[in-house]
Amino acid sequence: MRQQLTEYILNQPKKVFILVLVLTVVTAAMIPMIKIDTDPENMLPANQAERLFHNKIKTQFNLHDMIVVGAVNRTAQGIFNPQSLQALLEIADQVEAIEGVIDYDLMALSSVDNIKQGGPGEIEFEWLMKQAPNDQAAADYLATQVARLPLLNNTLVSADHQATSIYVPIADKNESHRIATEIQTIIDHVNSADEYHITGLPVAEDTFGYQMFVQMGISAPLAGLMIFILMWYFFRNFKFIAAPMVVAMVTVITVMGTMIGMGYTVHIMSSMIAIFLMPIAVVDSIHIMSEFVERYDIHAERKQVIRDVINELFKPMLFTSITSTIGFFSLLLTPIPPVQVFGAFVGAGILLAFVLTLLFIPAYLVVLKPESLSSLQNIHHSKSKLSTVIKSIGGFSLSNNKAVIAAFLVVFAVSIWGITQIKINDNPVRWFKADHPIRMADKVLNEHFAGTYDAYLVLESDADAVQQSFAKKLATQTLWHRQFELIEQQENGFKEQLNEMLFWAEDQLFDADAQQAEQLEQLINEIDAVNARLALFKSPTSLAYVEQLQAALQQSGLVGKSNSLADVVKTVNRELHGGDAEDFILPDSAAGVAQTLLQYQSSHRPHDLWHFVDQDYATTVIWVQLTSGDNQDMTAVVEYMDQYISGNPPSAGVEINWAGKTFLNKVWQEEMVKGMGMSLISAFAAVFIMMVVLFRSVLLGFLAMLPLTLTIVFIYGLIGWLGKDYDMPIAVLSALTLGLSVDFAIHFIQRAKDLFAENRDFKLTMRLMFEEPAAAISKNAIVIAIGFTPLLFAPLVPYISVGFFLATIMAVSAVVTLMLLPAMFKLLSRWTLR
Amino acid sequence: MNRTKRTANRRFKLFTAATILALAALVQAQSLMADITAAQIIKQANLASFYAGEDGRSDARMIIVDNKDNKQMRQFVILRKDLEEGGDQNFLVVFSRPSDVKDTVFLVHKKVAADDDRWLYLPALDLEKRISASDNRTSFVGSDFYYEDVSGRNPEADSHQLLKQDDTLYYLKSTPKLAGSVEFAYYTMQIDKRSFLPLLIEYFDDSDTPIRRVEVVEVTEVQGHPTVLKSKVSNLKTGGYTLLEFRRPAYDLGMDDSVFTVRALRNPPKNWLSAK
Repeated sequence: MRQQLTEYILNQPKKVFILVLVLTVVTAAMIPMIKIDTDPENMLPANQAERLFHNKIKTQFNLHDMIVVGAVNRTAQGIFNPQSLQALLEIADQVEAIEGVIDYDLMALSSVDNIKQGGPGEIEFEWLMKQAPNDQAAADYLATQVARLPLLNNTLVSADHQATSIYVPIADKNESHRIATEIQTIIDHVNSADEYHITGLPVAEDTFGYQMFVQMGISAPLAGLMIFILMWYFFRNFKFIAAPMVVAMVTVITVMGTMIGMGYTVHIMSSMIAIFLMPIAVVDSIHIMSEFVERYDIHAERKQVIRDVINELFKPMLFTSITSTIGFFSLLLTPIPPVQVFGAFVGAGILLAFVLTLLFIPAYLVVLKPESLSSLQNIHHSKSKLSTVIKSIGGFSLSNNKAVIAAFLVVFAVSIWGITQIKINDNPVRWFKADHPIRMADKVLNEHFAGTYDAYLVLESDADAVQQSFAKKLATQTLWHRQFELIEQQENGFKEQLNEMLFWAEDQLFDADAQQAEQLEQLINEIDAVNARLALFKSPTSLAYVEQLQAALQQSGLVGKSNSLADVVKTVNRELHGGDAEDFILPDSAAGVAQTLLQYQSSHRPHDLWHFVDQDYATTVIWVQLTSGDNQDMTAVVEYMDQYISGNPPSAGVEINWAGKTFLNKVWQEEMVKGMGMSLISAFAAVFIMMVVLFRSVLLGFLAMLPLTLTIVFIYGLIGWLGKDYDMPIAVLSALTLGLSVDFAIHFIQRAKDLFAENRDFKLTMRLMFEEPAAAISKNAIVIAIGFTPLLFAPLVPYISVGFFLATIMAVSAVVTLMLLPAMFKLLSRWTLR
Repeated sequence: MNRTKRTANRRFKLFTAATILALAALVQAQSLMADITAAQIIKQANLASFYAGEDGRSDARMIIVDNKDNKQMRQFVILRKDLEEGGDQNFLVVFSRPSDVKDTVFLVHKKVAADDDRWLYLPALDLEKRISASDNRTSFVGSDFYYEDVSGRNPEADSHQLLKQDDTLYYLKSTPKLAGSVEFAYYTMQIDKRSFLPLLIEYFDDSDTPIRRVEVVEVTEVQGHPTVLKSKVSNLKTGGYTLLEFRRPAYDLGMDDSVFTVRALRNPPKNWLSAK
């Protein structure tokens, strides 16, 4: 059937061209629908439990996406001076007016309340800094005031007094680039000697999206150009090498167009699809064309040459394509949607490239004018300079086979040791280069403040249990029960239902006789008791537990600071009692807490309370500020707290969970490491089985796996040795390495088998192997390795590491294939080639 | 066709009659009140809103609703005694719900010429405390009402302008004399001509965007005084609002001055707290 297809193509090349053209046009038409997605949250599936919980908490407690503006004054005086504060006030006021900024939740010295002692025995709530201080004394006084407010100290103003920040909540994070730009304009127009930084996750994400476009717009075409130049170097014939370029372009356009057309967003991983497919797509073409050049001369019957070439290469090409595809498809086992999309489309792209190569290259070669091909006669790979080097490598490996094997064993051992040194870690801010303004802002602000990375420790009491026990009580009284059923139809929340029931009972009380009144009082008491049980986080014991958790967080050594409802209560309580430090304690009853909070709510910003606790006081949030967004640090905090909590459990029915983006990053990283292990193992097994089937020999199958095993071990050993974090792009590399580096082994072993079958002479086979086959393998390795190098010039770190390591992988696996395989073949010659 | 014409004719007659009536009413209204000034309207409105009777009491219930429909409840009794009509007056606010703030008390000596005096009693902490009242535009116990909405904003703080009037309403615009002392740039009021109660107050920021709205939802007559039974304050920025419902209002109860002393904080006058 394959031969019939080849015949058809050779006779009807135009139909192939039309088919390819239509495919390209249709898919290209979908590319303008592109949607960029830079939200690290999307590393987790939309229905992931931790993500759902995070978003629930985010909504419930109005934890908006924040742009962080930091002002730093490094003089001895610090930020507390009239000029700096005046500038800050002007900037904050103007930022508040920007459209899309949630002004009532904006946090700056000028927009928050102070609670302090007024006149003798008087408590005063006032704006902390309605106007900027007129003189230094007033500025110093302001500093003492901030130091008394634990919620602000080291959050709004750094402990060293050199920096202050404005937290700018925004309604839609897709607007963050515009808003950040407007903030920058405002800063530029305000007269201030202080250095200003703008950062925050939404800004980072937006900037990242922009740079992803840059990368796709520059790196991918650049990769195309590199491949073109290389091929020109190998074949020196523009018309001839146009064919693989067409295959590469059509593959990239079709895959990207289909992906976008299917509604997938372009995430950091999928933005690399083009640059991955480009070099891989030309590999098969290069094999065909090398072989074609080797066999072609002006007198040969061209169709026959093509037929012969395809016949010879079909099997290894099919198998290499399938193994590469398996490598990428194995990423589907990693439960990270962007990685899955990437794996699926690159895998499909490789199969498409294989099909396109078989369709288009023969059709193209057959229509090419004879004079276009005339120059090819002078090129024979087996005579090139590259080939000379390779032959000497082959000769060396064969003559010193034991030493070569021993050397590889040493490398293997050293690499294994390197792997044990690997640090699993990622941090989306580190995706920017060290000199990027966002990285700089991040560094500066975390130096001064107690941390700009937020995570939330959430304590939830079991409201359902309270509700059920109340329902049981009600069931004893028909009238109450009926009334409550009526209320349940109108009100949604249990707390509101209770309130309505209470209102009803109190209204009834007005016209009740003595006996009814007694019953109603009983009901009212019952409702009060239920309310008290619901409002667990008004109780001093629960708040004391929150305090304990905060102390533990601090002891973990990785948390800069934490804020909680307990801090709010203690601060207000202290000021109510006269402002002495010894009164910075929790009141001794729930009513005391409630009455303290009633005062807190009598401020300019009563809604601030709901960032810490819900209206039912059944759920409370501890804000945790980390100075590092590294997943390993977040992991350490989580583990430390798990241990603490298991030793000091909360009261019955209270559940403790984490939320916050820093925590989510940790979650997807763990999923990824686990998933990648699965991907790697299953791809390894699948490829091994394929190899055994292909070569009909367990030994050859084992040999085919050697180069890739050694390459993977070496690469990860290298990462361990270099001290580079095992992050998302690095994790993805394992599957790629597997799929790509087995290619060389397949070609090597298959060709060696074929040659040996012809001449039945091991030495001759090996000599012939280092003629055309080894040259084609090295050429492919070089094309792919060089093809990825434009990634080194990308503006974002993940691209750079992928570029660097892929080039290394290609080089290493080619070297391993060309050195280790002949050495092993010789060692095992009695069994390998028979 | 004939019928349509007849109907149209009748409509025209009705319309003409209505117009004539309306015009007549307008002419009459204008001739009666042509010379009323903004200052007079404001004075009347202030009296109607905050000085009905010599003293008064009411049960009050607040439902504070945020933009996600979360609700909080406050229930209290509010007592008032005027020292001078349109001048200084005293307020006592005693909380009954939520039960954990029961018997929390606010005492306010409102002064027209100076800062108010304010005291607070928190029973659970057994704590009496003076509260600085330098800023009256802070939240009243976490609601969207400000202290000033409860006790009344000094009419002298703003300059008032009568924009227009129609059959039922005066339309005023008021601008604070001390710009920057408050969170708004100006506010507009629609004052009912009959009762002189402001039915709608809207606060605007510098860019003429409404940021806050105070509405009267229900009015009734109590002992001859038009009395607000339900009002609503909306924070147009946060999307939250607060409903305030008054129940069992009564005037001229003959309250004693001792009801409004600091001593009353710990022992609020039981006889005025529950409605008779």
